[in-house]
Amino acid sequence: MPISDYRLARRDFVAGLALFAAAAPSLAQAAQTSHKQATSPRHLLLREVSQLVIPRSTTPGAGEVGVGAFVLLGLAHGLAGSHGALPKTLPEGVAAHVGADGRLDYVGWLKAALDQAAGAPFMAQPPARRHAVLAALDAQAFDPKAGWHPWKAIKKLILTGYYTSEVGGSKELNYVHVPGRFDPDLPLKPSDRAYSSDWTGVDFG
Amino acid sequence: MDFDAIVVGSGISGGWAAKELAEAGLKVLMIERGREINHQQDYATEWKMPWDMPFRGEGDSDLYDAEYAVQKRNRHFTEFTQPHFVNDAQNPYQTGEGTDFTWFRSYQLGGRSLTWGRQCYRWSDYDFMANARDGHGTDWPIRYADLAPWYDKVESFIGVSGAKEGLKQLPDGQFQPPMALNVVEQHVREAIAKRWPERCVTIGRTANLTEAKPDEARNACQNRSICARGCSFGAYFSTQSSTLPAAMKTGNLTVITDAVVEKLAYDPATRRVTAVHYLDTKTRTRKQASARLVFLNAGAFNSVHILLNSAQAGMENGLANGSGVLGTHIMDHANTLAAAAIMPGFEMHTTFGNRPTGVVLARYRNMDVMDGVGHTRGFSFQGGALQSTWTQGNRMAGIGADYKETLRRPGPWRMVLASFADCVPRASNRLTLDRTKTDPNGLPQLKIDFAFGKEELAALAQAKAEASEMLTAAGGKVLFGSDRPGAGGAAIHEMGGARMGHDPASSVLNKWSQAHEVANLFVTDGAQMSSSACQNPSLTYMALTARAAHAAVSMLREGKI
Ligand SMILES: Cc1cc2nc3c(=O)[nH]c(=O)nc-3n(C[C@H](O)[C@H](O)[C@H](O)COP(=O)(O)OP(=O)(O)OC[C@H]3O[C@@H](n4cnc5c(N)ncnc54)[C@H](O)[C@@H]3O)c2cc1C
Repeated sequence: MPISDYRLARRDFVAGLALFAAAAPSLAQAAQTSHKQATSPRHLLLREVSQLVIPRSTTPGAGEVGVGAFVLLGLAHGLAGSHGALPKTLPEGVAAHVGADGRLDYVGWLKAALDQAAGAPFMAQPPARRHAVLAALDAQAFDPKAGWHPWKAIKKLILTGYYTSEVGGSKELNYVHVPGRFDPDLPLKPSDRAYSSDWTGVDFG
Repeated sequence: MDFDAIVVGSGISGGWAAKELAEAGLKVLMIERGREINHQQDYATEWKMPWDMPFRGEGDSDLYDAEYAVQKRNRHFTEFTQPHFVNDAQNPYQTGEGTDFTWFRSYQLGGRSLTWGRQCYRWSDYDFMANARDGHGTDWPIRYADLAPWYDKVESFIGVSGAKEGLKQLPDGQFQPPMALNVVEQHVREAIAKRWPERCVTIGRTANLTEAKPDEARNACQNRSICARGCSFGAYFSTQSSTLPAAMKTGNLTVITDAVVEKLAYDPATRRVTAVHYLDTKTRTRKQASARLVFLNAGAFNSVHILLNSAQAGMENGLANGSGVLGTHIMDHANTLAAAAIMPGFEMHTTFGNRPTGVVLARYRNMDVMDGVGHTRGFSFQGGALQSTWTQGNRMAGIGADYKETLRRPGPWRMVLASFADCVPRASNRLTLDRTKTDPNGLPQLKIDFAFGKEELAALAQAKAEASEMLTAAGGKVLFGSDRPGAGGAAIHEMGGARMGHDPASSVLNKWSQAHEVANLFVTDGAQMSSSACQNPSLTYMALTARAAHAAVSMLREGKI
């Protein structure tokens, strides 16, 4: 039984430790699956909205790295509280998208809200206009007086999708799986990037 | 007899029992209900990046609602650690009316030694004398001096890093070099000490190695802080990294996994436990094993479950329960986020690496002067200073290039202090067996009745006010604070139910963690606790276990068992 192989395994491990640690990231990269190009209207809307929230800079934007698909996956599985009970009073225009099961169709709501704010199909607007319409919706949702708003869950999923993607987590931000040491006080330079692997910061920041 | 000793459970305390008994030369059988997890080989998520995970580390919320409804309420439960926590749907329990109790469990080889937070604090005589002093519960039959050498032994073996501070209420131990306070914590330590010299902020005393233990093939901590996934470096104490290999080395230990102990058979003529009955969950067959000694280390509530379920004719209330207190006086620290503050002035400072511990602010109330408001015991804080990262974006308005640029930079510093208040032992907080509901193994479900009382609420109120005052004095701007405890069990320090005491009429165990009524039965996990203190308890379980194992071996050798 494997338990009796314990000590042998331990010795092997210690010998191979450096090798293993060095190999782990490249193994992970090999396991990386490529994102399927999704073309449904819901995918295209979320891809665009994700890209507007996190656009391309020196690194790719959120839409480009498949965050639209992650948001759909997240909404399908109740992430960011999206299958939780809804508050009694809902912002205008939300109730129409609550299904018989009491769940909100976040994407249906988002599409309707953006189309309505644009006065025409959102996806048909020029880029600057799309940005302005989404920025206005975002400002409304984050107005300190606004309370619960469905955009917050979608935005949270966009951020999660991006900063836990390989590009967002390790190119836009820093990712170090094995820091190997702890430096308690370093000068922060203006060019320093945050760490997506700072788990305490992720939890409590 | 099949074995000299049987140890039920392979977690923090069971690993110690097995090691000590096997090293003393006894042939030991360890019976563990969960699956086998081999050190290094079976830590399935250890090397996974968030982008390797189907739900990026967040996990499938719908699945968690359906099958992990309790475990998901613990912030240490994530997609990465999910394999190390129980499925609640398969491991149900009941709660009494009005009870909200989250029972966080790890049923596997290693138990919660794999998932624990590794904080290790000695108790002091303020704790061992608490019951005698204020009259709650029953007096401990031991004092700090009884346990001090065992704390030494345990700390040296498991490896605890920490700073000596000379505090009476949080005695120093055999520490490896401390991990460092970060720049903000160092400032807060100094600011608090300046205004309140008796209040000490110190680095967490944690079972993470700062110096390798090459003889045990354990490496120093790599500052990843993803311990609960399992650590191939062996850098934190777990059964797998530490006690199990030591016990295996003796050649005296046999381990059985996937085996749920159902009950102990007892012979009233000899007043001994004669056999341990268990269900082999792989073959669904019922089996038994016998030994001269039995150590219960199934985790406080499960050890009580086994004793309650071992009732037989003439002992209808359970084994070793002549006193009638079995299952009563359970406790868990009342715990909440006492204060969170923005800490301005450190914008030009940052850190590197993920230190796997926070800080602790030692108890300072109700020591030599009774200065608690509405309560007679202690509270302390754990927490730390951290720099925000991308998740601050969840709370921020904005989209586009500037927003992305903001999230690219480390955010403001914050400091959090979580309060832990001593939980008074009360008879009404208790475990019973639900005779109408069984679990998938056909065993009666455990029923938990639990509520915090006015003492804990008063302690948390004082903790909240003082946490806010201290962070403010250190230049912080307090954003939030709470004095409402989380659900029972939220501190994951559930304990009691088979308390130690002087008197067989009012306690289950004597000062050697041995059943008053059953000489070959020892219960050395959290069930034995007579009071709760406000420190994390597992170091004390380990010390008590080592002490009990040595006592048991002497009693065996002297023919007393
Ligand atoms: C996230 C987290 C953080 C924590 N942080 C800290 C901390 O910082 N400091 C601290 O002191 N404590 C901490 N704890 C608590 C600590 O884990 C427990 O106090 C400790 O593990 C208890 O040890 P134990 O041996 O009694 O039980 P466990 O470690 O829970 O082990 C019990 C074992 O018995 C097995 N078992 C149960 N029933 C049966 C049965 N009927 N038959 C056979 N086997 C059975 C279980 O499967 C398990 O493997 C934390 C816990 C968690 C989950």
